[in-house]
Amino acid sequence: MKNKFELTIISAERKVFDGEVENVLAPGMIGDFLVLSNHAPCISSIRPGFLEFSEGTSQKKRYFVSGGIIEVINNVVSVLVDYAIAGDKVVKEDITTLITEVDDKLSTGDIINRDDLQLRKNDLEEALKQA
Amino acid sequence: MPSLKDLKIRIDSVKSTRKITKAMQMVAAAKLRKAQEAAERGRPYAEKMRSIVSNLASSVKNIAEDNKFLGDGRDSDKYLLIVATAERGLCGGFNSSIVKLAKSRIAELVSQNKEIKILTIGKKGREQLNREFESLFIGHVDLSNEKNITIDTARKISTDIIARFEDGEFEVAEIFYNKFASVISQIPSSYKLLPVAFNEKEADASNVSFNFEPDEDEILNEIIPKSVATSIFSVLQENAASEQGSRMAAMDNATRNAGEMIDKLTIDFNRSRQAAITNELIEIISGAEAL
Repeated sequence: MKNKFELTIISAERKVFDGEVENVLAPGMIGDFLVLSNHAPCISSIRPGFLEFSEGTSQKKRYFVSGGIIEVINNVVSVLVDYAIAGDKVVKEDITTLITEVDDKLSTGDIINRDDLQLRKNDLEEALKQA
Repeated sequence: MPSLKDLKIRIDSVKSTRKITKAMQMVAAAKLRKAQEAAERGRPYAEKMRSIVSNLASSVKNIAEDNKFLGDGRDSDKYLLIVATAERGLCGGFNSSIVKLAKSRIAELVSQNKEIKILTIGKKGREQLNREFESLFIGHVDLSNEKNITIDTARKISTDIIARFEDGEFEVAEIFYNKFASVISQIPSSYKLLPVAFNEKEADASNVSFNFEPDEDEILNEIIPKSVATSIFSVLQENAASEQGSRMAAMDNATRNAGEMIDKLTIDFNRSRQAAITNELIEIISGAEAL
């Protein structure tokens, strides 16, 4: 018997995905991590990238997510992100727009978290390659 | 007694006003539905965000107490009041009820010798507060180019507010808006944005010890700006729905009043027309008798 758990992906504007899954591969801030059922409770921030999960069939689903938070508690995984786009609908232009946004912020100069932005840009560029 | 022609002109003008208010009412009804749907779609995110913040804060109490973003803000002296109103008028008491609530809060804070700053969102509130409190204004957000409220707008506002908070410009931020109770009832309310209040009762896992990645502090610092942006977003969305609801009710009233006015004017018009006819007849008859 397969162990399933609940996954919800919520973007700021709507609920993107809600259902039972077997595993989730999330792009954690300090490395990708895999969540299976009965995972210990945890809260982690995630970087822009691809979130993968499988619903039991062999087919994996992929969503492009921008940075956000993931919470795992009692076999309920909630992913809160700014944007989430289904993997097959990801357009490279979307990611490019995000990169330009970060670039704009980088060029304005008066920012404290320049390193963070630079890292974010790298993540986005990595995601662009995968798309 | 106004002449027949004058009456006719007035009836026509009221009729065209009625057409306009009727159209505005229908537009508002359509927009209201959209705004309500958008607000409902955004709700799961806001709820989850609150519960994560509560979970997080209650499981790392010692850190949470030191974090400047968390707390109850009870002994603060500097207040930022954010007054969120509409960009347009003709929506009944929508704008003035928010301004009224904000003014009473200002009066209360002034009597306690607190330092107050005001940030306005939406033109109408600014216009109404301008006369008395211009010196307290520190910023204004113009939403006239935003057809729908997006999370990006909310995020911009929250970035600005958080930067000011970190600079020590204020210690408590409250936002004033109209809560959407139903289509016909909107309640002017205030909500404390900063410091973020966390409610242990909302935490659905106060006994669970979480693993944090990278660590508690960083997550708190990442999640709090997000939760502020989310709160602003849901407040603005609710405000937008209230605005349309309020406008719809106001325009419905106006349409009905215009209808009553048209009825009254039409009666006047018919009476004076009849009076004119009677008058003419009398003249003809008495002219004939004189012969």
